[in-house]
Amino acid sequence: MARSSTDRLKSLSNALATPEQLSNSSSAIDGVAPELETSIRFAGTELTQAAGVFLRLPQDIIAQAIVTFTRFWIGAEGGSLRIYSVKDVSAAALYLTAKLSFQPTSPRSVLNVYNFLLSKDASPLWFINPKGVPEEPSPETYCLSEGGYQSQRIVLLRIESIILRTLGFNTHVVLPHTIALTYLQTLGVSSSAVARRVFEHLNAALLSPQLLYVTHQPNALAVSSIYLAAREVGIKLVDGEWWEVFDVDREELGFLVVGMRSMEGFARAEMEKWKGRVVPMSVEEVEAEIERRRMMEEGE
Amino acid sequence: MSSKSRWADEDPETEAINAQRKREKEEKRRAKAEKQRQLDQQAEEAARQREPTTQETEAPPKKRRRLSNEPDPATEVPVKSSKPPKSSSTLLQFPSQEWGPSRHVDNFERLNHIEEGSYGWVSRAKDITTGEIVALKKLKMDNSPDGFPVTGLREIQTLLEARHPNIVYLREVVVGTKMDDVFLVMDFLEHDLKTLLDDMREPFLPSEIKTLLSQILTGLDFLHSQWIMHRDLKTSNLLMNNRGEIKIADFGMARYYGDPPPKLTQLVVTLWYRAPELLLGAEKYGTEIDMWSIGCIFAELLTKEPLLQGKNEVDQVSKIFALTGPPTPRTWPGFRSLPNAKSLRLPQTSSAPSGNPPLLPRAKFPFLTNAGLQLLSSLLALNPTSRPTAQECLSHPYFREDPRPKPKEMFPTFPSKAGMEKRRRRETPEAPKRGQEAPKMDFASVFGGQSSGDGRETGAGFTLRLG
Repeated sequence: MARSSTDRLKSLSNALATPEQLSNSSSAIDGVAPELETSIRFAGTELTQAAGVFLRLPQDIIAQAIVTFTRFWIGAEGGSLRIYSVKDVSAAALYLTAKLSFQPTSPRSVLNVYNFLLSKDASPLWFINPKGVPEEPSPETYCLSEGGYQSQRIVLLRIESIILRTLGFNTHVVLPHTIALTYLQTLGVSSSAVARRVFEHLNAALLSPQLLYVTHQPNALAVSSIYLAAREVGIKLVDGEWWEVFDVDREELGFLVVGMRSMEGFARAEMEKWKGRVVPMSVEEVEAEIERRRMMEEGE
Repeated sequence: MSSKSRWADEDPETEAINAQRKREKEEKRRAKAEKQRQLDQQAEEAARQREPTTQETEAPPKKRRRLSNEPDPATEVPVKSSKPPKSSSTLLQFPSQEWGPSRHVDNFERLNHIEEGSYGWVSRAKDITTGEIVALKKLKMDNSPDGFPVTGLREIQTLLEARHPNIVYLREVVVGTKMDDVFLVMDFLEHDLKTLLDDMREPFLPSEIKTLLSQILTGLDFLHSQWIMHRDLKTSNLLMNNRGEIKIADFGMARYYGDPPPKLTQLVVTLWYRAPELLLGAEKYGTEIDMWSIGCIFAELLTKEPLLQGKNEVDQVSKIFALTGPPTPRTWPGFRSLPNAKSLRLPQTSSAPSGNPPLLPRAKFPFLTNAGLQLLSSLLALNPTSRPTAQECLSHPYFREDPRPKPKEMFPTFPSKAGMEKRRRRETPEAPKRGQEAPKMDFASVFGGQSSGDGRETGAGFTLRLG
């Protein structure tokens, strides 16, 4: 086994998906249409982000959880949407990431939050409760009973183990956020508007259907978000191919900039596509959606 | 794990997995081929939709498959540019790491049991596909209501990240059929320092001690630079091979720390190697606790015997103070405010040893040079802030004076206990268990051994140097 000095760069780099993993997903093999898988995964990342905010977790923990969540579904040996429920994987990824951080959270808190966010009546999320939150949702619709807690806790902890096994216990996720700040300082950019825009792009890219965080190293994500943010805010950066200083080539930069720019349009298209409907968050709902599509095809 | 290009598939392990799963994959592939066509189609559509937005960016990239794995520096295509070719710059290559599901433990044949620690048992095993000998450590699951034990997770996480020649190499994590069966596959090393010292007739030579200690310090310096505290350094957690190399092992207590430090448990480090601030209940501590353990290990290398063999926490504190002399407001300002220090009754010492930190009694280490004694005394300074960092230790004159550290290649070899036979269980204390209540200790009896409160509180029975 080769063990080179590049091991030292681990604190700045991530494991990336292989081309083989990217061209095969377990869900696709199980007959989930790629476009449906993309929608469900996108909603799942949004759910994770929202749950993290409700749990008052810092964004770095939430972001790491989203990367772990995303990795789980990739590749023929990853998780399948017809076997594991998105909502469970989202909750377990968040719980697991928080456990390893300086700010762990309890299974009860996680399950309370997910119960609320998944409530068909009280949830503020568009893809779960499309009709919107009523003035005063009745607590029964989102409160977790003791029995419910006990059974859901078992599911949470089982999925936690399954995530670990699926990822070979690799929980290492390096985020581009702090790297971007360092680069901004190096470039002599002191505009807080640029910094804010950089973070917005980096956080939005977490939800990217192009899986930017599992296909690109954090330094490339940082450089691209700076490039894009500086252009949007109208700050001139240094002349010359400064991105090469940060080990990013022009081609990769271009690809990532396009990917980040397309996020907003993609999110809008998703909302439009599912307008008034619920994005499946569980195995049963995925099955129902697949069945619905099959019936529609037959009907036509 | 491999630093080769991730396109290269030469890793024997990967090959093993592939062979094993070939048949089931064959079937999946056929199903996949159909899906792939759909995916490609969709990707092209997506790319077409995105195309308009590229106009505004400076460098419209080539249209590419949405799912293609973007630039891998190893297989990088030269940047196409309309401008004349410039001098190409060299970009940093990141290690290509991947993830994949854990293999099954059945890929290993267990040979013999090595030892049982507080965090699981270890056995020597053979990788069936490659024939390599490895150490297989089963993680202990504590059936906690919080799921996968965080100690086990931290052990894996820190070991995977702490890649260094002086830190034991975690190859992979394999699993059994039951959810609770999780095993760490590590490089096998022939010895642990504890067993080795026990079986040696004479201690290591001064030159050998320097080689060992500097390796331990190099490994620890790397750990600390990666924001990892080991929190259970002791001779039985230091592994040695027959090539004079020593590696830090057992990360069951290790964790990341931060600045400012997060809230940490005081229930760390095996009693004999536990720093005084932990014993006195400090709620905030840092890498200095590892340096104290290094001091204990240094002394143990010199004498072959654990330095401070306390029977319990109170006895441990008393043994420490007997060696170093009691803390004074000058040598350790602020120790009085530590939770367990309140009950501590100190003798009034008029003859406090000079120096800060004071030198340890010469008589205990007759064969140590002055520089060596100075290093040891600073490592065993009661005041954590007086202890040197691992980095500072490495530049200490002790390592540069004669006798020089012995080259690793010149190291003697020893018969391996772990290699062939079952290891004796020793009655050494274990690291404290996680989740225990931090004990409320009454240190009133640290000095004198009898319950105080009978009016003899100051200095009664205390002897500064037990010799």
